[in-house]
Amino acid sequence: MVEVSGYYCPNCLFEVPSASVRAEKNRCARNCFLCPNCRNTLSVVPSDPPETADMRLSAIPINAVGEAPFFLYCNHCRWDSAEVGITFEKPTGLAAQLQRFEDSAPEFLEFERLKEHFEPFLRASSSSPALSTVHSHHIHMNPITAAASSALARDVPGVGKYTPLSRSRVGRERSTGKDDISEYKSRVEIGSVSGLGAAGEPDVEFVKHLENMEEVAELEQRWMNSWANSTQASDLKPLRIPLLSKKTKRCPSCRHILIKPEQKAQSVRYKIKLVAANYLPDITVALPKVPGSESARRASNLKSSVTATEPDKGPDGMIAGQTYPFHLAFTNPLYDLIQVRLSVQRQQTPADRRPPFAVSLPTSTFPVAAFAEAWEYEDDEDMFGVEDEEMDDMDVRGGRNPEAKSKTKTVGVLEKRANVTVIGGEVVISKEATGDVKFNMLVSYTYRSDDPVGEENEGTPSRSAGKPEMKTFSFSTVVDLGPVIPREETRTEFDI
Amino acid sequence: MPPIRDKYTIHSKAVVCQDVELKGDITVGSGTIVHPKATIFAIAGPIVIGSNNIIEEGAIIVNRRKEVMRIGDDNIFEIGCRVESPSVGNFNTISTRARVHHTVRLSSFCVVGAGCLVVPTEDEVLDDYTVIYGPAAERRKWTGRGKVQEADLRRKHAEYLREMLPKFNRLRRGDGT
Repeated sequence: MVEVSGYYCPNCLFEVPSASVRAEKNRCARNCFLCPNCRNTLSVVPSDPPETADMRLSAIPINAVGEAPFFLYCNHCRWDSAEVGITFEKPTGLAAQLQRFEDSAPEFLEFERLKEHFEPFLRASSSSPALSTVHSHHIHMNPITAAASSALARDVPGVGKYTPLSRSRVGRERSTGKDDISEYKSRVEIGSVSGLGAAGEPDVEFVKHLENMEEVAELEQRWMNSWANSTQASDLKPLRIPLLSKKTKRCPSCRHILIKPEQKAQSVRYKIKLVAANYLPDITVALPKVPGSESARRASNLKSSVTATEPDKGPDGMIAGQTYPFHLAFTNPLYDLIQVRLSVQRQQTPADRRPPFAVSLPTSTFPVAAFAEAWEYEDDEDMFGVEDEEMDDMDVRGGRNPEAKSKTKTVGVLEKRANVTVIGGEVVISKEATGDVKFNMLVSYTYRSDDPVGEENEGTPSRSAGKPEMKTFSFSTVVDLGPVIPREETRTEFDI
Repeated sequence: MPPIRDKYTIHSKAVVCQDVELKGDITVGSGTIVHPKATIFAIAGPIVIGSNNIIEEGAIIVNRRKEVMRIGDDNIFEIGCRVESPSVGNFNTISTRARVHHTVRLSSFCVVGAGCLVVPTEDEVLDDYTVIYGPAAERRKWTGRGKVQEADLRRKHAEYLREMLPKFNRLRRGDGT
């Protein structure tokens, strides 16, 4: 569940109070504008001082504030607002100065009138009991989100909600409320105002005399404006920068806040950040260059996130028609021993083609020892040799298998150290295989939680119980073993 | 092709750093600043650079043609740009990593935006105040408003560099001195 925790302007980083967001139409009401031409941020610049006759500028004193009129200027495409006749007397409070133009625009007045016209009807329908049921799932909301969502979810008369049920309801309400609503008279007749779109004749004339494409405003440039707008690029007006929002995320079942950004717009940190990746075993993929070699160790020390498993792209890649072993190193972030089971998911391929490779992984569960802080302080080098003995002491439940390290085996548990277990798998690549070897893998892991502090994100409201309890979680991930080298290229590859 | 004869004429008021790759017949006018790691190659014809230009690090200026490549005054060649155009006017800006092919001639007050490729197959002259911007190298005309301020800024920029660069870099002198 995502909720809005605050609004800010991405340009001036001003935190806009939620009360004024709606009044300012979700855009920055200070000095931030977007270039209508290229979407860059506009800057306010003073006019040039009167030019000297020759372009050799001697010491022209340019005072710090500059001279009026001021205008908006795009540093990227050199658009300036004086082109469309917008200039300012002073360089502050531009939005307020522009607002005057905006407020007097015919389409704006029309919209205001429309809103005014339907306001009593809207108020009547929103207070009707039928609507309150719609919002029943929004009980635990902060006022900001409530305001935003009620504004979005509000029934617009005549535009039914997507459910057929509510459609009939809206129809019924409409029939009852029809009496209060008088016929709406538009302020101006459509097409009578010049420049207000839909005026076909000038448009045809414009297109006829069109010489290059840049004169027509692109759809993207006009998208944010009202529909009744001129199609000419020379009529584009600067846009106030849309506000962005910071969002918090809650667990839908227990209402616990999972992610909460800091309130300040300048800060990119989080007050609360409980992400699933902190609780999932970390998987690192390695492809030994020579079958049976120990080169995987280098890669298995790299930290990589679970969802984006990095392939260890050896310089030689994989050759079609061969069989390769690969290593998966599982690192346990939890303070409990976990039992992991892997399964390869079926590939979504077109019916006429089978996946060009086959993956075999150990099917039985294997343990990954619990995480302990002490291991963080040890050097990676130490972990290979010295710690094997220590681990035997520490890892009582680990069930170490001394034969697991035998080099002949490729599929199965290869290595266990600290909270890392290395699993061997094998991939058989068919002769006509091309592209990347990627497969989906479902990882399920089970652990006995007797430590209620360590599992805050798991979403169990009943945290009082101290008794051990088996927990099973599973997630899917994509394992990318790197590209398959087509057969022709192999010769050149080997020469290097 | 005859071997390239190196001949550098550097104005005494120009600031050309030692760590600059120069090749061929090159003339640098007064007040022009060439940052270290810039490259100026006069492969076929000579290159004549006017006054008060700023050529930043990694900029590459190449003359592939027989005739003289003339660069006017008060131009700025930003970091990593590559310019091969046979003539450049005044007050042009070639932004970072932009590339201007030898088929294009720049007039004055042109702006080539960051990363823009200007590589027409036929010869072309960019008019005054042409602005090239965006990933698709779109073009538009600048009204020229604000150019006095920009020129003023450019002048201050050059002034500062003329003061600061010699403090931290060895300078190259022309052949004459």
